[in-house]
Amino acid sequence: MSDSTALIFGFNNYSEEILKNVQQKYDNVKIYSLDKEDVKRDSSIGHFDLSDNWKKMEDEINVDKSVAFCVLEETAENVFLVISLRATYENLSIIAIASDKENADKLLMAGANKVVPLVETTADIITNMLENPISNDLLHEMLYEESTLKIAQIKIGRESHIKGVELSSIDWGHYDGIIVLSVMHKDMKSEFIYSSKVKRHIIKEDDVLVVVGYEQDIQEFEEKIGSNRYVSWNNWSW
Amino acid sequence: MIKKLIVDFAFYLQTSKSYQARKHFYVNLLNNSKYKYKKYFDIFMISLIFTSVFVLIRNVKHPIEDYLFYFNSYIISIIFFVEYLLRFWIHSSVSKIIVDQVENDLFLSREVNLSKAFRKIVGVKFSYISSITAIIDILAVMPFFHELRLLRLLILFRVFKLFRYANSFQTFASVLSSKKFEFFMLAIFASVVIFASSILIYVMEANNPNSPVNTIFEAFYWSIVTISTVGYGDVVPITYEGRIVALVVIISGIAVLAFTTSLAVSAFTEKIDEIREIKIVENITKLKSFYLICGYESLAQDVAKKLKYLGNEIIVLETDAQRIVSAKGDGLTVLSYDSGELQSYKKLHLDFEKQVKSVLCLREDDVANVYTALTIRSLSKDVNILSILTESSNRKKLEYAGINKLVYPQELIGIITKELVGQPVAFEVIHELRSHKSNVNVTEILITEKILKNYSTVKKLGNKEFGVVLFGVYKEKKRHFYFNAMESTLLELGDFLLVIGYKIFIKEFEKHLHKKVKYE
Repeated sequence: MSDSTALIFGFNNYSEEILKNVQQKYDNVKIYSLDKEDVKRDSSIGHFDLSDNWKKMEDEINVDKSVAFCVLEETAENVFLVISLRATYENLSIIAIASDKENADKLLMAGANKVVPLVETTADIITNMLENPISNDLLHEMLYEESTLKIAQIKIGRESHIKGVELSSIDWGHYDGIIVLSVMHKDMKSEFIYSSKVKRHIIKEDDVLVVVGYEQDIQEFEEKIGSNRYVSWNNWSW
Repeated sequence: MIKKLIVDFAFYLQTSKSYQARKHFYVNLLNNSKYKYKKYFDIFMISLIFTSVFVLIRNVKHPIEDYLFYFNSYIISIIFFVEYLLRFWIHSSVSKIIVDQVENDLFLSREVNLSKAFRKIVGVKFSYISSITAIIDILAVMPFFHELRLLRLLILFRVFKLFRYANSFQTFASVLSSKKFEFFMLAIFASVVIFASSILIYVMEANNPNSPVNTIFEAFYWSIVTISTVGYGDVVPITYEGRIVALVVIISGIAVLAFTTSLAVSAFTEKIDEIREIKIVENITKLKSFYLICGYESLAQDVAKKLKYLGNEIIVLETDAQRIVSAKGDGLTVLSYDSGELQSYKKLHLDFEKQVKSVLCLREDDVANVYTALTIRSLSKDVNILSILTESSNRKKLEYAGINKLVYPQELIGIITKELVGQPVAFEVIHELRSHKSNVNVTEILITEKILKNYSTVKKLGNKEFGVVLFGVYKEKKRHFYFNAMESTLLELGDFLLVIGYKIFIKEFEKHLHKKVKYE
């Protein structure tokens, strides 16, 4: 019951790609389809109905450690699925795809933690590929964990010596090989460190610093400030 | 002997690079509206015309200075005459006609017949001399013979020369010429009415001592003034019969005027799209660089908006009427051309390598994208083509069509999901950095010669003073990214600085890099 599970709702090209990319991250991956024919063709696929009582699923998965990917092609069905899951599981992390901004807003209202608007996201990526090819590749490799250069989320611990210090008073140049990009507090959206809004921000326990550097430098940084990596993403919603 | 000399000379001219280059230069200067120096030549000629007209008007009531008189009568006339000769020269190639004739005769094992070639040359050159534009050109030179007072009025033909230098005049003439037949019919009708009414009014009025119509010229004058609906009233019929003629002419006049107006309006209405298209194509050929988007479906719309926001020029090729309206509404240059047809690009006279940053095949249809890519590849081997892929099974086919970069949206979603579940906060931060809506951006700054002259190392850049973080340096030669580059890192031509910061600060920093540094 302590295993992490990825639940993929929808059996299509999107679910195939998601499966490829997330199966190493989760202990279990389950695909559900609305179409009984899919289930007949592939026994590993589960069947679901929009009128299902989702409570049954609670016995099979650890809801707090699981993520649901809602990738149904029919937008209205996708919205209904998200709202059904949210109504049943308050803590389940739900990621959904939307064809456009209008549907993305509906999915967010239905309770999805994160919505990826297809057209907008693809357009953003194409624009970056054309206009900023170097940074685009670099940032992608960092996030996709294909580069030796890492991006890390450092959670300020109870013992950290920068806890209670004003952000603007810290000389980040003191920490070699590290660039601090942003800070994120539970109560506020992620803010870049250059923003005037966060300059007077007092660093508190559980704040998250997003830093870029090589593995060894990040480790040294963690030791120096007395904090650790890893943030359970379920705590955050955008 | 002479024949041989002529043939040899013709072959020499045809093969002489310097002669052909010179001729090509004048062809461009006089006839090629896309040639960059033509507009300066046109402006020069237009100013000569206006100077000439100014001198003519001033000379009516005031004596003009000698230097203006000589400038107008001799210098301008000589310049116009030289232009006339140049146009006569470039209109057709005499040497080519001779060479073609010789080659034909030799191929058919006949004796070289130069007289046939000469006849052809005379025919071709005469067709130029007898053209309206050439006649205007030669008449514009006539004021040279200023001693003949009447010939001075020919200076007005210089005004007609304006047609040569202003494209809109040419467009106007071409629009009206599309209704040539109708205008001709109208002119015949008006001429018949004028002719008949002139004679009738003369017959009816000339013998009446109180009538102002005493000569056939006065009758003709009255006829024209009446049919044109101007009606000065200085010459009026006074006899009963004459007034009946006047009634007929007045009614005919209204008909002629209404018909002329409607003809001109319908000619413009029919041609307006064509005129707009010509103007758009003209503007496109002048663009230094732009993105060519083939198809304007939802993804293309979003990409176009983002690229435009970043200050890029966008040209859209789309055949669907609704999407054309949508592209126009988004403020883009759109042409109703099929992106899969070779003819579309020929009409555009595109220089793919120099002008097109990238071709984007963004139709949600792999077949259409392959077709477009192949068409473009047949015109340019090097232009960058990006396309979306809708079915993963078609990937190889699109690659085979010569597409450089394929974007498979489903795959992107998979990648994004992995990035998102791996490091959600970092993902959001990076997403924000890459998003063009955010105030904080990551920007690539190319190291140019100018920058390198003043800033040879990372330390000298002074980015911190602008609140800009140097993320690293991308070394183009080594194709390697140096994260958080050391201050001693040497910058090289073609390197890229990757900087993070507020957009306005980055702009200031860029300005600072491009400014000349004053050394004391």
